[in-house]
Amino acid sequence: MSVTETVLIFVVIPAAIVAVIAGLSYAGGARRTSKRYRPGRPFEFTPVWFLSAPEQLSAATGSAELTAGPHREAISGALEGPAVQRPESERVPQGSTGGASDRW
Amino acid sequence: MTAGETTHDSAGASLVRRPEVLDGPFTTRQLLRLDEALRIADRSTGLTFSVYVGELDEPVREHAEKLLMQLADPARSVLIAVSPNQRVLEIVTGPQARVRLPDRDCKLAALSMAAAFGGGDLAGGIVTGLAQLAERARRI
Repeated sequence: MSVTETVLIFVVIPAAIVAVIAGLSYAGGARRTSKRYRPGRPFEFTPVWFLSAPEQLSAATGSAELTAGPHREAISGALEGPAVQRPESERVPQGSTGGASDRW
Repeated sequence: MTAGETTHDSAGASLVRRPEVLDGPFTTRQLLRLDEALRIADRSTGLTFSVYVGELDEPVREHAEKLLMQLADPARSVLIAVSPNQRVLEIVTGPQARVRLPDRDCKLAALSMAAAFGGGDLAGGIVTGLAQLAERARRI
């Protein structure tokens, strides 16, 4: 076996295999870790806010939202019936809010 | 994520843009589970449950209460605010919702949610928390 053959078999081929596996793991791993939350590590995402019926979000901010007011009223009225009173002005409920807090 | 940014720039312009919610912390499967949990919680209690995941300004409690006030009927709403980076969880109940969902029950749900979050399971924690809150909310 000549020197070039030895180098080809024992250096170049293993190096190629390592490179392929490293490339595959890098390509596959980058996508998955971006969605994975690990406490203590920074987690990049856009804030989200969920409601089962999104039209129940009132137009508390911005005058642009006011144009959509009557429309949303109709939608939520159809869904929720008379139980939901639309806050025409900034109706802030009297009485204290409750709940709980926690950290991890 | 560059793809998300580019579609975000052309928001409203194109019809086939990627929904912004997919840039959030959840996968599609988790979003479906969350949606289901929210719907069941709303239907079984009559309260309005809402989940916010994102940064909360200091003081976090006030910010969470402000978010609750933006809902259509804050008095009968329950807001779960989670900030993964600050590692803070706030459950805010409106005055009427508080009658049916005492603070003690909220604290219980908060404990189990925080335990799941500590293990890195955001969606699972929220889903179990919602189920627990909905189960505890008393009918009047």
